[in-house]
Amino acid sequence: MTGALQPAAEAAERPVSPAAGKPLLVATGLQKSFGGVQAVRDISLSVPEGTVFAVIGPNGAGKSTMLNLMSGHYQPDAGTLHFDGIAMVGVPAHVRVRHGIARTFQKIRLFKQLSALENVLAAFHTRHAIPAWQYVFHAGAFRRDVERCRTEAVELLSFVGLKHRIHVTAGALSYGEQRMLEIARALATAPRLLMIDEPAAGLNNAEVDALLERIVELRMRHITIILVEHNMDLVMKVADRILVMDYGQYLFEGTPAEVQSHPGVIAAYLGDESP
Amino acid sequence: MSSPAVTNPARPASNTLFASRRFWQLVALIVIALLPMVLTDSYWQTNLIICAINVLLAIGLDFVLGYAGQLNLGQSAFYGIGAYASTLLITQLGVPFWAAFACGVVISGTAGMLLSLFAVRLRGHYLAIASLGFAVITYQILLNWISLTQGPLGIYGISPPPSMSIPGLGKIDFSNLTNLFYLVAGFAFLVYLLFDQLVRSPVGETLTAIREDEVSASSLGVNGTKWKVFAFAMSSAVAGAAGCFYAPFVGTLVPDAFMITESFTILAMVIVGGMGSLVGPVFGAILLTILPELLRGVGDLRLIVYGVAVTLVVMFMPGGMVQAGKMLAMKLRGEKNVARKEPVQ
Repeated sequence: MTGALQPAAEAAERPVSPAAGKPLLVATGLQKSFGGVQAVRDISLSVPEGTVFAVIGPNGAGKSTMLNLMSGHYQPDAGTLHFDGIAMVGVPAHVRVRHGIARTFQKIRLFKQLSALENVLAAFHTRHAIPAWQYVFHAGAFRRDVERCRTEAVELLSFVGLKHRIHVTAGALSYGEQRMLEIARALATAPRLLMIDEPAAGLNNAEVDALLERIVELRMRHITIILVEHNMDLVMKVADRILVMDYGQYLFEGTPAEVQSHPGVIAAYLGDESP
Repeated sequence: MSSPAVTNPARPASNTLFASRRFWQLVALIVIALLPMVLTDSYWQTNLIICAINVLLAIGLDFVLGYAGQLNLGQSAFYGIGAYASTLLITQLGVPFWAAFACGVVISGTAGMLLSLFAVRLRGHYLAIASLGFAVITYQILLNWISLTQGPLGIYGISPPPSMSIPGLGKIDFSNLTNLFYLVAGFAFLVYLLFDQLVRSPVGETLTAIREDEVSASSLGVNGTKWKVFAFAMSSAVAGAAGCFYAPFVGTLVPDAFMITESFTILAMVIVGGMGSLVGPVFGAILLTILPELLRGVGDLRLIVYGVAVTLVVMFMPGGMVQAGKMLAMKLRGEKNVARKEPVQ
């Protein structure tokens, strides 16, 4: 852990400008309880457009709950959430996708019986340009749409390094490949904000490097990224800003360098030495 | 058309004629045209019509079960609602047959839509139980609302669909079994084409996504509720259409034709034929209609035949007749890995 917390060369060199873009996603005072457990307590954050924003914290810190609140898979008990100025509380997950919010899942949720290509094709749901009658009578617009989706799906699969695996059943892909396929599938919804839930979990070093490269590439394509992650190395290398959570609460927010030197963060990760 | 390579990448480039859907659809049309000419006695023609009605019921169920993954055991109720609604409109209000037919389809579809709106939060066993409950309730209403349905006494003397004048063919009289078969089978064929086009469009991808993982589908922008209601409505509307044909074909309506066992019979047809393909349930419906006729001598033992058939299929051939057919075709082509199993997760 100490190794992971050492300043990463890239993070130190990369110019970090928190005021780079206008805030794309803004949350204030988000709260969520399950029974007696307060999973998220009074969390506020502001994610500037075009940045990589990481949420870190020990197990059970409420990171995934936070992501579920932002994606609409949970609704908060209190607090506000705005995406590009539009209020999102109460808006269901499938509608948020149309606003440009996409996500992956910590516990992989691919369509396991379908091929990699079919997984990505299903994600074009909100982006078809087919007149209703052509769903029954497949004419020109239908063929063009199918062709466009297919081409774009293959591009996305190439982007995540799965071009040679497009016809393989998702359930038969390796764990790392499944993670990348989930990212390709989320990208097929043409998101402005992509939320990735623990993508590096279970990946080997080479796969983590490939993942890091893809995230950097997406950032260059002006896709804002929220990264919920345990892998400190990865977070320190790609994140512009980091929110640290512990026991569902705000612990600290800042740049990677600030996070690494903050005593409270180190205590949360490594244990407090004071009695 | 969606590219065949998407749905079946393993399909060899040769045999394009036999791999073409249009070719097989043409074959099916020819078979439909020839069947009543080969089987000329009224016993077999009656069975042919029952086959066509069952094919409608089975592909309707397959659309909601095999594609959207929702177990609907209310199919017997929608079948009954279609039959009673159209018949009562004709006999009580004097509505013309085809208008009553359209109403029957719409009423059944609406009933399916309402049921699924209530049951949409349920899945798996719970949805099955809710739809089964609906089937039981509907049967009880048909049986006990005597002032409307005449209960167990039944409605008698329902006339066949009115004859139709088609230019070039003259007047077509539907009291003739051959013509009635052409009508019902032709309608079933059109419904098959409709479903086939739908499942090969992005609608098929969306329904399959819901079947595989609804939470995941919602993260891709799929409104699970809306699409499940759509699949339910389509499925029940088709069952309603089958009911609209059933009443004038048999000429008599009694509630016992729509007991819940009918739902399980339709389910057996879908499972034996192969869920999640449209062609499977067609063959499943034909097999499970003809087989009991051939086994008529054994009486109620035919129910055991259903049970055994379903059990064997689920245990050894979960893909049903479609899977068996694919394996046979691969064996004939001399391909290896015939018994290649899908990875189990």
